[in-house]
Amino acid sequence: MNQPEIPLTRYLAPDGRPCATLPPWAADVDLLTRLYRQMVLTRLFDLKAVALQRTGRIGTYAPTLGQEAIGVAIGSLMRPEDVLVPYYRDTAVQLMRGVRMEEILLYWGGDERGSDFQDPAVAEDFPLCVPIATQALHACGVATAFKIRGQHRVAVTTCGDGATSKGDFLEALNVAGAWQLPVVFVINNNQWAISTPRRIQSGAPSLAQKALGAGFAGEQADGNDVLAVYDRMQAALERARQGKGPVLLECLSYRLGDHTTADDATRYRSAEEVKRAWEEEPIKRLQGFLAGQGLWDEGREQALVADCQARVQRAVDNFEAAGNQPPEAVLDYVYARWPAALMDQREVLLERAARRAGGQGHE
Amino acid sequence: MKYFKLPDLGEGLQEAEIVEWHVKPGDAVKADQLLVSVETAKAIVDIPAPYDGVVCKTFGGAGDILHVGEPLLAYEGEEDAGTVVGRLEGGHGGAQEDSFFIGAAPSTREHLAPRATPAVRQLARRLGVDLAGLAGSGADGLISAADVEAAAQGERERFGGERLRGVRRSMAINMARAHAEVVPVTLYGDADLHRWKAARDPLIRLAKAIAHACTVEPVLNSWFDGRGPSIRRHDRLDLGIAVDTPDGLFVPVLRNVGERSAEDLKQGMARLRADVQARSIPPQEMMGATLTLSNFGTLFGRYANPVVVPPQVAIIGAGGIRDEVVAWQGAPAVHPILPLSLTFDHRAVTGGEAARFLKALVQALEAP
Amino acid sequence: MSEVKRCTLLEAVNLALHRAMRESEDVLVLGEDVGINGGVFRATLGLREAFGFKRVIDTPLAETMIAGLSVGMAAQGLKPVLEIQFLGFVFAALEQLLAHAARLRCRTRGRLSCPLVLRSPMGAGIRAPEHHSESTEALFAHIPGLRVVIPSSPARAYGLLLAAIDDPDPVVFLEPTRLYRMNPQPLADDGRRLPLDSCFTLREGGDITLVSWGASVHETLQAAERLAGQDVSAEVIDVACLKPLDLDTLEASVRKTGRCVIVHEAPRSCGVGAEIAASLYERALLDLQAPIQRVTAPDIPPPLYRLEQLYLPGVEDILAACEATLNYA
Repeated sequence: MNQPEIPLTRYLAPDGRPCATLPPWAADVDLLTRLYRQMVLTRLFDLKAVALQRTGRIGTYAPTLGQEAIGVAIGSLMRPEDVLVPYYRDTAVQLMRGVRMEEILLYWGGDERGSDFQDPAVAEDFPLCVPIATQALHACGVATAFKIRGQHRVAVTTCGDGATSKGDFLEALNVAGAWQLPVVFVINNNQWAISTPRRIQSGAPSLAQKALGAGFAGEQADGNDVLAVYDRMQAALERARQGKGPVLLECLSYRLGDHTTADDATRYRSAEEVKRAWEEEPIKRLQGFLAGQGLWDEGREQALVADCQARVQRAVDNFEAAGNQPPEAVLDYVYARWPAALMDQREVLLERAARRAGGQGHE
Repeated sequence: MKYFKLPDLGEGLQEAEIVEWHVKPGDAVKADQLLVSVETAKAIVDIPAPYDGVVCKTFGGAGDILHVGEPLLAYEGEEDAGTVVGRLEGGHGGAQEDSFFIGAAPSTREHLAPRATPAVRQLARRLGVDLAGLAGSGADGLISAADVEAAAQGERERFGGERLRGVRRSMAINMARAHAEVVPVTLYGDADLHRWKAARDPLIRLAKAIAHACTVEPVLNSWFDGRGPSIRRHDRLDLGIAVDTPDGLFVPVLRNVGERSAEDLKQGMARLRADVQARSIPPQEMMGATLTLSNFGTLFGRYANPVVVPPQVAIIGAGGIRDEVVAWQGAPAVHPILPLSLTFDHRAVTGGEAARFLKALVQALEAP
Repeated sequence: MSEVKRCTLLEAVNLALHRAMRESEDVLVLGEDVGINGGVFRATLGLREAFGFKRVIDTPLAETMIAGLSVGMAAQGLKPVLEIQFLGFVFAALEQLLAHAARLRCRTRGRLSCPLVLRSPMGAGIRAPEHHSESTEALFAHIPGLRVVIPSSPARAYGLLLAAIDDPDPVVFLEPTRLYRMNPQPLADDGRRLPLDSCFTLREGGDITLVSWGASVHETLQAAERLAGQDVSAEVIDVACLKPLDLDTLEASVRKTGRCVIVHEAPRSCGVGAEIAASLYERALLDLQAPIQRVTAPDIPPPLYRLEQLYLPGVEDILAACEATLNYA
């Protein structure tokens, strides 16, 4: 069988040394440093979120460990007027876009205010999406609105390798190709969908080539190489913004953490495999490159870490100080206005809240 | 096995090199007990046990590098969390017996209604059949309409008797209906007929006297509708006269009693009676009575409380005229006495109105 | 083997699956993470090892596919027991269920049929993220051609799941997540089936009938215990089989007690409680001493876990409804 040629982009080898001619923009030291700093912040925040779950201060959380490069690259390239339609393992891109750390903590901490983003830059971004791949179609809808209105804006949507098996994903690709929508699909192929490994998820050699069935370009990038992701993302966004249609970018990475804080991946994969994957991880890779160029050192590392820790701690403090929503909040946002016909339910709810407050709990 | 993974070492450190293990597989460890010492880029860090347990397996030896999140040690025998989101509350010990009844509890079984559709239930109600204890011929013992009808037939056969038809049937139905609606009160009185010159047809005198009483208390000559409630007064008296026949009770109506002469009324009554005897009376002749007179005295009896038939509000009962000893001007005397009963529907008529009506009726009768 | 072991509801499900797969080669299990991982809740633990990869299938991530495939397999005479990882993810499978599973027998006049069992964890109360707390049993109960079963104890889970797998019609078998590991009870792996068209009376009483299903049975039983302390004897009925409903048992109980409170976690409007109340009014209006009360969630999506306790009916809520019913004029 003739398999199509799917380009794979990689600039840095796992140890940080260039393995291909770097693109011109990679000479921008400030840019690279910014990318590095953001990846470190993401990781530290991500680890903190896991710790908060372990100590019961937030609920189940989906860690991004090892996949920071993808989100940071996407988030740094999207414009404020673009719209992000994420899945649920998107701490990296959310932070880069302008979602606040305390909002992320509120969301996983069981408080809907976490999806009411305050920063104007993310006013139209979608919240995290749990039902797999359904967000891909939302992105197509957003892109359709852009197209109808003649706006030069792009919808960017992310998903995992598991999501590419779902009907929603394939229907999204199809309509994006049929209508030449200004949408960029980014697959975070971290090789695992809970316990399902990539090889039994699909018979296709690459997930990127699913775009071909929908009539547009699909390509791969090394998801642990932030330069590669940045480069291909930049091209994809430009293409979409110019009205030349959608792009599917499959980023190859590895899920170094568990599926969620409640999952235990040691049940279904070997420690050796995880150990090997650590050698490819993105932060060490870029650090290796920067250090090799004489652009990074231990002192700067320590200062960065200290700064990030402080920022994370401030966010945690804000999160803890956020308090709880009032009981009426469960009703107030279901409709534009809670219907008069259901007003008796409001009374029942407040009675129930009073009982709970009086210590007459559920458990 | 429950895995304990290398925790966040702080300060952004991703990995550590194992320096020395302080426990080995098989050891029982307590929470916070020192498990292993690892070296990071900064310092040597001691890792404590997160909870009590028995060590099943350790990962890596001195000199090996482990990354944050990689398994460090496995505890023995601990159940895994067994979830991928949230937190499942564990067993609350006390293995109380899970005893339950399939379906209804014993004391509830007595209340299990016989299985029948609403239509069949209604049929049973109408026919007066009790569904309990009835065996259904349908699937799962479902009781069918045929089962109900057979039971009703069976009951009738056990009861014996002939089915009522025609007038007797109407009487059974109408009396039951009247009883359900009317609030009856009966007033009794006597008319002393000693002033009557000659023996007159008491029926016609009664009719005229009733017509007179209606002018005194017109409310008794009305129709009442309990649903409104509303009342409709009549200008003329159409008096229903109860006539007894071998086939049952007929009540032909003597029209416009107040305006007609005694002679006219007498002839009219004779005609009605003849038609009744001959079974040729048209139904219209028995409709529209505004008041009814039951002259049962021609047969036997003195007083009664006859049934008010809606929409009428009253009925007069006349008993047999007989000589009685009365007190007359201070001395006993023998006078012909006509016993009267007035039953009225207290939903529409007051006691006062009824009393005044009866008084007027008696006074009209007692006139010469 | 009829040895008696203490089992949680989850373990009872696992036990029933093992037995069903032993008893018939046509029974197979499919879904996401059911094989090697044994299911995200471990409901299918050990099945892959015991019965192999052809009968315990780790599928790609696609609920429409899982349901549609099951329709095809069932039509061929296999007995697929498909797992939808959380009820909140069943919606992609609804078309296959409604348009096909529920109708195949009817459309072909019995020539083809669809004896599948859809298993899914349902309900709130485990501090889960969004979309993992749904109680949409009313959606399924509304579909002609489907059976809907919700166990509330290990013994009933075991007996009802075996019966569901036996049943020639499609069964939606919803497992209350909150009860998965609670209250382990002695259970014999004796293969005894329970009927799929019966309620279960958990507690006999004469003053008031408490009707519930799923995780709410837990709170309902606690409320009955509290009522006993107030000298009120409550009869507790676990509906368990929501479609078809055993209205005869419910009716008889209400005729006996004259008072009824229905407790369910799903939102109030158009919940199965409404169907039960309407049917009881039709059958036993003249035996009721007070209106039937429903204690439910309000008409809202399940909130994120911090406000979850306002959504879930609690023991005190049930007691308040009982008081209103018992003290009705």
